[in-house]
Amino acid sequence: MYIELNQKEVFASTGGKPFDPKKPLVLFIHGSGLDHTFWGLHSRFFAFRGYSVLCIDMPGHTNSEGPSLESIEEMADWVNEVTTEIGAKDISVVGHSQGCLVSIELASRYPDEIKSVSLIASGYETPVNSFLLDSAKNEPKTALNKMISWGFGEAGHLYQGTIPGNSMLIGGYKVMGGNPDELYKDLLACNNYKAGKDAAGKIKASCQLILAGQDLMVPKKSSMALAEALPPSRELTIIKESGHMLPLESPNKCRDLLKTFIFSKNPTGK
Amino acid sequence: MSDFLSFDTLSLHAGQTLDSEFGSRAQPIHQTTSYVFTDTDTASSLFNLERGGHVYNRISNPTVGVLEQRVAALEGGSASVCVSSGMSAVFCALTALVSQGDHVVASANMYGGNISLLKNTLPRFGITATFVDPTDIKQIESAIQENTKIIFGELIGNPGLSVMDIEAVSKICSKHHLPLMIDGTFNTPYLCRCFEYGANIIVHSLTKWMGGHGTSIGGVVVDGGNFDWGKDDKFPTLTEAYAPFTGINFWEEFGPSAFATRIRAEAMRDIGPSMSPMNAFLLLQGIETLSLRMDRHISNTRELLKYLSSHDQVSWVNHPDMPNHDSNALAKKYMPKGAGSIITFGVKGGREAGKAFIENVKLASHLANVGDAKTLIIHPATTTHSRIDADALVAAGITEDMIRISVGIENVADIQDDFNKGFRAAKKYS
Repeated sequence: MYIELNQKEVFASTGGKPFDPKKPLVLFIHGSGLDHTFWGLHSRFFAFRGYSVLCIDMPGHTNSEGPSLESIEEMADWVNEVTTEIGAKDISVVGHSQGCLVSIELASRYPDEIKSVSLIASGYETPVNSFLLDSAKNEPKTALNKMISWGFGEAGHLYQGTIPGNSMLIGGYKVMGGNPDELYKDLLACNNYKAGKDAAGKIKASCQLILAGQDLMVPKKSSMALAEALPPSRELTIIKESGHMLPLESPNKCRDLLKTFIFSKNPTGK
Repeated sequence: MSDFLSFDTLSLHAGQTLDSEFGSRAQPIHQTTSYVFTDTDTASSLFNLERGGHVYNRISNPTVGVLEQRVAALEGGSASVCVSSGMSAVFCALTALVSQGDHVVASANMYGGNISLLKNTLPRFGITATFVDPTDIKQIESAIQENTKIIFGELIGNPGLSVMDIEAVSKICSKHHLPLMIDGTFNTPYLCRCFEYGANIIVHSLTKWMGGHGTSIGGVVVDGGNFDWGKDDKFPTLTEAYAPFTGINFWEEFGPSAFATRIRAEAMRDIGPSMSPMNAFLLLQGIETLSLRMDRHISNTRELLKYLSSHDQVSWVNHPDMPNHDSNALAKKYMPKGAGSIITFGVKGGREAGKAFIENVKLASHLANVGDAKTLIIHPATTTHSRIDADALVAAGITEDMIRISVGIENVADIQDDFNKGFRAAKKYS
């Protein structure tokens, strides 16, 4: 669906069911350079089980008008504007990588409607190494290769996957390759974000952290620091066989964890 | 250290998840029709495309799935769907996009089955085609109509062996927002990865060089994931709600694999051209040695080109790697390792001489196939292309004296000795 916000078009896929503000919302926020299709193995599941679903394209990404936003804080404000515009209530936010930083900031700034926060493959800060940042600015193809190569674990590199015939690695490459300018701006925003520790500590909603055992993008030390910074009630799971692109690489385990958590913290039919 | 695994390594490993129960090193053959659901929720998720997995063999199968993922990996595609034959692949790919009243621009220099599908079968359903010289870019562009949905050709035309300038054609496609579909059977991804030159869809007859052993019929459609189906309203099969799957919008939900997903959701379910798991296993065995075989196919082809070019009973020899071939520059650009292992040539003495040659070679097998590890030989005008009319024969570059060789990987000296027997028998007609 397209949403008009500040005279610009915002795109969000809705998992095959129309958005209904009366239903609780599962809001998916993608990572650097990606888009709504990243959540294809999760969005449809919730949409057909009583939830409204929004997988938003961040500004400038794929179907949403630009320009890209320059900071994580601006992104969180923008997401809040989108959900306010459409009258969303009872929100379960699910973020991956950069989307986690946005989710942390969103949940700490706008706690009223956020019922649960699911954070996948992230720390509370994600400093980006200078080689990757320079490449993203000056040699997007090199940065793209590194992002995809480091982003996927062994299963991705061997073209394994749960959807018959699908190559998640090349699919990811095509999506990220379609947003080359946004990749640099996203990585810069991630690199500059320093407020995550404080923001994580302020979250009132129930939190879930799902980490990847083969994550080359976010060091274990960093993701465990996020686990420490979140409220003590947070749930933590590590999927050891997955790389950073966990929702694609281990979709069934990831969906089962999201399902149990969101069904419990933000049930439908209230 | 390389960012990604190499072509040769992917040929052996891509797509296979090791069997966790028994540790089988070879890909197991899942000879089953259906799959036990763990619970009702999982069952409904599978039916509603909410999760990956297998329901029924007509739609997908784990062994076939490994082959699909391996071919997608080798081509650099976002997804692929294996089907029962190369012709099934062409049919499923085209009908995922075209409906009654739509139009296809197609190369006139293609496998006879492709021509027949477009000339005879699809028109019965209101789908028309304009056939063009694949080497004439202006002619290709001028054939585009308002209702054109796709441009379709072979990188190496069969059996004329002209090479399509796919990069130039892809620019025409971009200008008119049309996908370019390439039949890559004769080149295989080892010789040319057509997505890197702008193709959007690739089809193969896996029966040929990919499988490489003449044991199994199979085909595949590979989705390049590189076409913006939603840019306009030209492709409603991908961008509008599809009622049989609860109004799914393939482009919106599946993005770079929208086209392949449409084929699996519609063609595999409603038409059912499924590949058997046994065939998938045999084709996987073949692909494991694709690089090795193709190198030998090419080196043998080069030796035979020298042999035939200097033979006094040969009136002409045709292969894109020959310096005097019209497509030689394009062949060097797109297939620097070699432009395939099909040679066509004319025997002096015409049709009777050709017949004598074919009937007196012993090592080379007279049959209707190409791309076997064994050398194959045929007279196209009376066999593979016998059902198309005289004008179409000319358009396809076929003459009455043409003999087509699919060069195998035997010792090349033995192939030459075998051909000498054929030439001796043909001499009385020359």
